[in-house]
Amino acid sequence: MAQPIHVGMADLVVSKHPATLITLGLGSCIGLVIYDQMSKTTGMVHIMLPDSREVKNIPKPGKFADTAVPLLLEELARLGANRSQLRAKMAGGAQMFSMPGKDSAIFAVGTRNVEATTKMLAAEGIRIVASDVGGSKGRSVEFSTETMKFIVKTLGSGTKEL
Amino acid sequence: MDHTSDYTNFHMDAIREVGNIGTGNAATALSRLLGRTVDMDVPVAELVPIYEVAAHYGAPEMPVCAVLVRTEEEFSCSLIFMIEEEKANLLADLIIPMDISGMDEESQLQIRDSALSEQGNIILGAFLNALSQITGWVLPTTTPAVARDMLGSIMDLVASMFGVIGDSAMLVKTSLHVKDLDSELGGTVIMIPDPGALEALLSKLGVL
Repeated sequence: MAQPIHVGMADLVVSKHPATLITLGLGSCIGLVIYDQMSKTTGMVHIMLPDSREVKNIPKPGKFADTAVPLLLEELARLGANRSQLRAKMAGGAQMFSMPGKDSAIFAVGTRNVEATTKMLAAEGIRIVASDVGGSKGRSVEFSTETMKFIVKTLGSGTKEL
Repeated sequence: MDHTSDYTNFHMDAIREVGNIGTGNAATALSRLLGRTVDMDVPVAELVPIYEVAAHYGAPEMPVCAVLVRTEEEFSCSLIFMIEEEKANLLADLIIPMDISGMDEESQLQIRDSALSEQGNIILGAFLNALSQITGWVLPTTTPAVARDMLGSIMDLVASMFGVIGDSAMLVKTSLHVKDLDSELGGTVIMIPDPGALEALLSKLGVL
């Protein structure tokens, strides 16, 4: 297995085979993987917030769903991925704290991240083939070009393979 | 000021002082609740790029327990008390008046979470009381919410909450330590002001 590359907050990493991309401890954020099985190219981004429209200065486009998805597609194309072959897998967007009687936008950021990322992928015509999103628990994720599987770990309830 | 990286040492000192007084009050309240000595570290206030917030606190997959309260009237912010899960359980047991070790896991978890929620509420409420005394603001707290999760996942949310304002997080890190126990119990208080709230606080303190 290739030496794993850690994809930190708002990081965007693309790679050719062989590559293993991991993100530890996703909470409200999204770990999004887009890959092309044929050319064995893949990329992962760690999205923090849904929308960049009110933000003037964006040093890391991976931070927002609406800037991260187009950039990830661009980087994959640069690496030789075939657009029509691209598929997406995503995990994250948990809401760890729930407050009775409170529906504060601050805590629903996970849900909004999922919605925004899903919408961006639909707009770009990229099919989501697997996802493990929402809920109240954080996740660690790992994606390897060896298997093209997304391994999702949750504290207390083990590992899923997507 | 629309970006947190514009803060000067002068502002940082003021925030550190708020952390100092707040934590002092929190330590006293916890000490009274437990009937034990509670020490505190000198608070650290620093600006950290939000992208490094998780790594700042420790191993991302370490299980932690976090209690969150909010205040939303004159000053809006979220406050988190975070402690390693193992230590959280020991802390909870200090105020559970019976032996729960014979109960099933789910019941133990519920009882401990309820104890932690009370402890977190007292600690964070005392922190806010200190802030209230300094500013004259009335700062009622919401019902506390408890989460048990990976440290990285809790900090992931914290980073996103700061991320709405800019690319740096103002972290006021203070630790409380319960003494006279076989193992030392320490936890961290994190204050996360809503957009605009930090400016309001600095202005109230006369440093902006």
